Amino acid sequence: MGVLQEKDKEYLRNEFSKLKNDVRLILFTQEDGCTYCSDEKMLMDELSSLSPKIKVEYYDYGGQADKKDTYKVDKFPALIIEGAKDYGIRYYGIPAGYEFASVIEDIMDVSQGTTNLSDNSKTRLKAINRPVRIQVFVTPSCPYCPKAVRTAHKIAIENEFVTADMVEATEFPDISNRYSVQSVPKIVVNDDVEFVGALPEDQFVDGVLSALEQH
Amino acid sequence: MLLSDLTIEKTKEKPSCESYDCVIIGGGPAGLTAGIYTARARLKTLLLEEKAIGGEIVVADIVENYPGFPKGISGSDLTSAMEEQARSFGVEICEVGAHSIAVEGDDRIVNTTDDRRIVSKAVIIAAGTESVKLNVKGEKQFTGRGVSYCAQCDGAFFRDKEAIVIGGGDTAIGDAIFLTRFVRKLSVVHRRDKLRAEKILQEKAFGIPIIEFIWDSVVTEIKGAKTVQAVDIKNLKTGTSSTKRTDGVFIFIGTKPNTLFVKDIVTLNESGYIITTSEMGTNVPGIFAAGDVREKTVRQVSTAVGDGATAGAAVQRYIERLETVRE
Ligand SMILES: Cc1cc2nc3c(=O)[nH]c(=O)nc-3n(C[C@H](O)[C@H](O)[C@H](O)COP(=O)(O)OP(=O)(O)OC[C@H]3O[C@@H](n4cnc5c(N)ncnc54)[C@H](O)[C@@H]3O)c2cc1C
Repeated sequence: MGVLQEKDKEYLRNEFSKLKNDVRLILFTQEDGCTYCSDEKMLMDELSSLSPKIKVEYYDYGGQADKKDTYKVDKFPALIIEGAKDYGIRYYGIPAGYEFASVIEDIMDVSQGTTNLSDNSKTRLKAINRPVRIQVFVTPSCPYCPKAVRTAHKIAIENEFVTADMVEATEFPDISNRYSVQSVPKIVVNDDVEFVGALPEDQFVDGVLSALEQH
Repeated sequence: MLLSDLTIEKTKEKPSCESYDCVIIGGGPAGLTAGIYTARARLKTLLLEEKAIGGEIVVADIVENYPGFPKGISGSDLTSAMEEQARSFGVEICEVGAHSIAVEGDDRIVNTTDDRRIVSKAVIIAAGTESVKLNVKGEKQFTGRGVSYCAQCDGAFFRDKEAIVIGGGDTAIGDAIFLTRFVRKLSVVHRRDKLRAEKILQEKAFGIPIIEFIWDSVVTEIKGAKTVQAVDIKNLKTGTSSTKRTDGVFIFIGTKPNTLFVKDIVTLNESGYIITTSEMGTNVPGIFAAGDVREKTVRQVSTAVGDGATAGAAVQRYIERLETVRE
């Protein structure tokens, strides 16, 4: 049974024909205690079937600690979209609903190794010289969330110090509670800075850079 | 369940050309419909959308008054179909905001938020409205921590909790009904003694036992610690104030037009809505406006669609005239 409709597959095959470098979809799942792991696996299988350039790798979150450490993932299901290198793109929880579009766009970007962030943003992001973790909390029914996820992921692609996580808030209630997430998209940078809403790119970059001024 | 609803974005992040016959600003029902008409007239059409294709109706759980869907349809399903239709006739859709419009002879220039300059013969402003803030103490502090403007996005965080909805119009009552899927108890705080929402929505809401109505009242402060815990409510008739415990505050008290970016070029009324002719023309030839963004009385999907069709056809006539004059 497939999840994607034929016309969507057709569209995606065509999009993926523009891929440059190979893209690896690396998925950490666990048998027990994971509502959406098998769904996400099925989704990744289908995506990879649409292009020879898209490869999938599956790891067991509990059983393959070495891999878990390599990719520094701290919960499951965790998806990493890797191009010529690991750009720091993470999806925690299933990227379903509106978030599926983010996965497609990320695949296109990592394959090229570039993004369409403005030249001004790219220059400003060069100021980042130590690790920054951006967490973007979302729900699958939030139409404004993909924009925030994509901006964070583009920043991760542009700057090697940045890791950017999509976190599906309802799948990780404890973490969402810790950050008092009650509206999405909510963006948390290094535990220091937080903001709500799909801000325009320049303001999003302001938010990320302001985390560098802390401590 | 989640997998049945995958969104596959077909939107481009930048325009493929530098010049168009028609640039449409805003991808809601008005803009998408205008695009269907201009593209079918074989005008080269670019549509710019800065947030989410579909416009504000994408967050409506169900639309029951748009003709053709006797069982109702979700706002996002409705506008995905409109989007597909617009695209099928050749409308190019880009995910970028319009920053300003300028006039240079017969050219209408649209400057984008990513510093691109797009030359067009005509422009349709279909930028819609956005929700207004309540402007009370605590609103800003607790935005994202219990204060929300999107029931569809944030409803799930209030499962088995208590929430209040502020407002009495269609959006407030429609979303109050939607939120009862999650919350244990819901209170609607409205500043008058009756609702403005459609009668049929009112009847539905009055029939839901967990909805309580607090009439003639306004919220004067939102309080809490890490997240919202209570609101202060003032009764306008008696002047008395009380504190009500709540976990969430959903604010739907009205809207304001997204016209800041065009205020120096087209004429607005005192509330900021664009003044147009019945053919959707503004005071500037070649610049048209359609949908919720313009001065009118009924702001609905069906009227936005009507405006879009009128504007699309008006653009076609405008460009034909422009070209006859040139010849
Ligand atoms: C929760 C809710 C429920 C509703 N329920 C109903 C209902 O049941 N029935 C009904 O008929 N109506 C309903 N409405 C009203 C309906 O959504 C609007 O009347 C309709 O969407 C108006 O369409 P529009 O195209 O004029 O504007 P919008 O839908 O507001 O679209 C305007 C678009 O322009 C974009 N934009 C703004 N500025 C720029 C810029 N500078 N550059 C690029 N893009 C820009 C915005 O992001 C937006 O997407 C509801 C509204 C809400 C919020």
